[in-house]
Amino acid sequence: MNTKFLFLKMILAVNLLSGLAVSSHAKLNVVATTPDFGAIAREIGGDDLVQVNVLAKPTEDPHFVDPKPSYIVKLSKADILIEGGAELEMGWMPPLIDGARNSKIALGKPGRVLCAEGLALLEVPAILDRSMGDIHALGNPHFMTDPMNARQTAKRICDTFSALDQEHSAAYRQRLEDFNKRLNEKMQTWKKQMEPFKGKSLVAYHNSWPYFAKCFGVKIELFLEPKPGIPPTPAHLVEVISTMKQENIGIIIVEPYQNRKTAETVAEKTNATIVEFSQYPGGVKGTEVGYIELIDYLVNTLVTALSKERLAEEHKP
Amino acid sequence: MSEAFSIMMWPFLACLLLPGILIYMGLHVVRREIIFVDLALAQVAAMGICLAIVLGHDAHDWQTIAWSAGFTLVGAVILTLTRPSGLRVPQEAIIGIIYVVAAAAGLLLLSRSPEGNEELRRTLVGEVLLVRPNEVLHTFAIFMVVGAVHIIFRRQFMLLSFNQEQGRSQGLRLWFWDFLFYVLFGVVVTSFVRIGGVLLVFSYLIIPAVSARLLVTSLPAQIAVGWIVATVSSVVGLYCSYQLDLPTGAAIVCALGLTLLLVAIGRYVVRSR
Repeated sequence: MNTKFLFLKMILAVNLLSGLAVSSHAKLNVVATTPDFGAIAREIGGDDLVQVNVLAKPTEDPHFVDPKPSYIVKLSKADILIEGGAELEMGWMPPLIDGARNSKIALGKPGRVLCAEGLALLEVPAILDRSMGDIHALGNPHFMTDPMNARQTAKRICDTFSALDQEHSAAYRQRLEDFNKRLNEKMQTWKKQMEPFKGKSLVAYHNSWPYFAKCFGVKIELFLEPKPGIPPTPAHLVEVISTMKQENIGIIIVEPYQNRKTAETVAEKTNATIVEFSQYPGGVKGTEVGYIELIDYLVNTLVTALSKERLAEEHKP
Repeated sequence: MSEAFSIMMWPFLACLLLPGILIYMGLHVVRREIIFVDLALAQVAAMGICLAIVLGHDAHDWQTIAWSAGFTLVGAVILTLTRPSGLRVPQEAIIGIIYVVAAAAGLLLLSRSPEGNEELRRTLVGEVLLVRPNEVLHTFAIFMVVGAVHIIFRRQFMLLSFNQEQGRSQGLRLWFWDFLFYVLFGVVVTSFVRIGGVLLVFSYLIIPAVSARLLVTSLPAQIAVGWIVATVSSVVGLYCSYQLDLPTGAAIVCALGLTLLLVAIGRYVVRSR
């Protein structure tokens, strides 16, 4: 028994020493839960001033992420934790944060950034009822697909960086301005591209696109899942197929971690096109660079698919 | 290295303190040739959890634990009633049927619940990496109680698994001890499944027992060898999980499998000399 206690004491002693050593490094150590926040943090911080680590892979469902030892290591060394909040990471983050025992990223500390805070979230339920499926009390947490929310998130991140690393706050502000400028320019192009398709309906697997739909004037109100988080059932799919035929909906949006086979079955029955979407930079090939490139990809792929659909309709006898 | 300790300390303690009783029960289970009984009981308990979730309880509510305990008890009754002596089917078949039907019923129940997939995956692989200190201590306390019952009635349990004929001639009520064995076994398995998941429970139960039976014959020696195999594999698995950043439970299972392979090769080499 004695040796065991000695062992524990040694562990504790070494921990204390290493804790002191870590606190004196120069770059801000930033952990982002999902790649979209990571991309924006890189945009604002740059490789020279911050070190960004992203936990979830872009091809992983943000609601269910497999915990690995390195996640706790990264969290224990973080100066800043950027997360979506609004229950997006509820299923996997809390025990990791407990395990990391890092007071800098404790709730309420300046190092903890909850991006959903201060945003007007959609679909906040009037009554909370489990029978509705996997709904979120604070609203739909997939808010980053609206570039205007990304803009606010970038500002939040810039404020946090500036507060915790005042020496470089001018650089952070400058990069935020650059980002906003690029985003605004792109935004006008995107809106122009989407203009001819205002009011078009699309089908999605999971309800992760209400913000995108609202921003770009399309309707994404029909889902392959009968309720959010509940796998598609035969009866529901039959209903979806008949609605798609009635309303002439020809496009199904699928994300990397969703069951493609279900979408393919429905597409076969309705002659619809499957469009590969991702909420995260890197989730689909060609979107690895950053957030603006991701939205650019989404708009372009969607416009291509919608144009083809329109062309086919015009040639129908 | 210090970092590794601070993160892996509770998983390490869990893998050091908890498998002891599993190894001992594993020797019983391997001897009685009811290898998959743990999977069946774990799945029956998981079905209880699924039902509780569908009824609107949280995975950690006491109602959930009660449902899962109740189902485990029913499982124990079924296993006791299907003792091989009277029936013309091997008990292993019954165990397999219990397993698949419980698993399928769980799937049906969870298809109505949004957290279904997550919960199913959790019962399979567990979250030994994120084990909380009080979980380890609670489970250890439960195992101490179960261990104490096994020590007090060791004569009966030994006769039950290792020498049934003699037990019967001494007038032992086999069905009663069988039932008690399954109840205690169900308690151990279901409380460890909450931490380690089905895969890890099965591995800790069977692999050390099989390794030990390959190497030594007396029961105390088998327990000792089993414990060494489990501990060495746990340390290797945890170390690899940390160094190579792999899912912890799966890493330990593979380390256990590798140890068994080495034991088997070692035995072959020694024998053939």
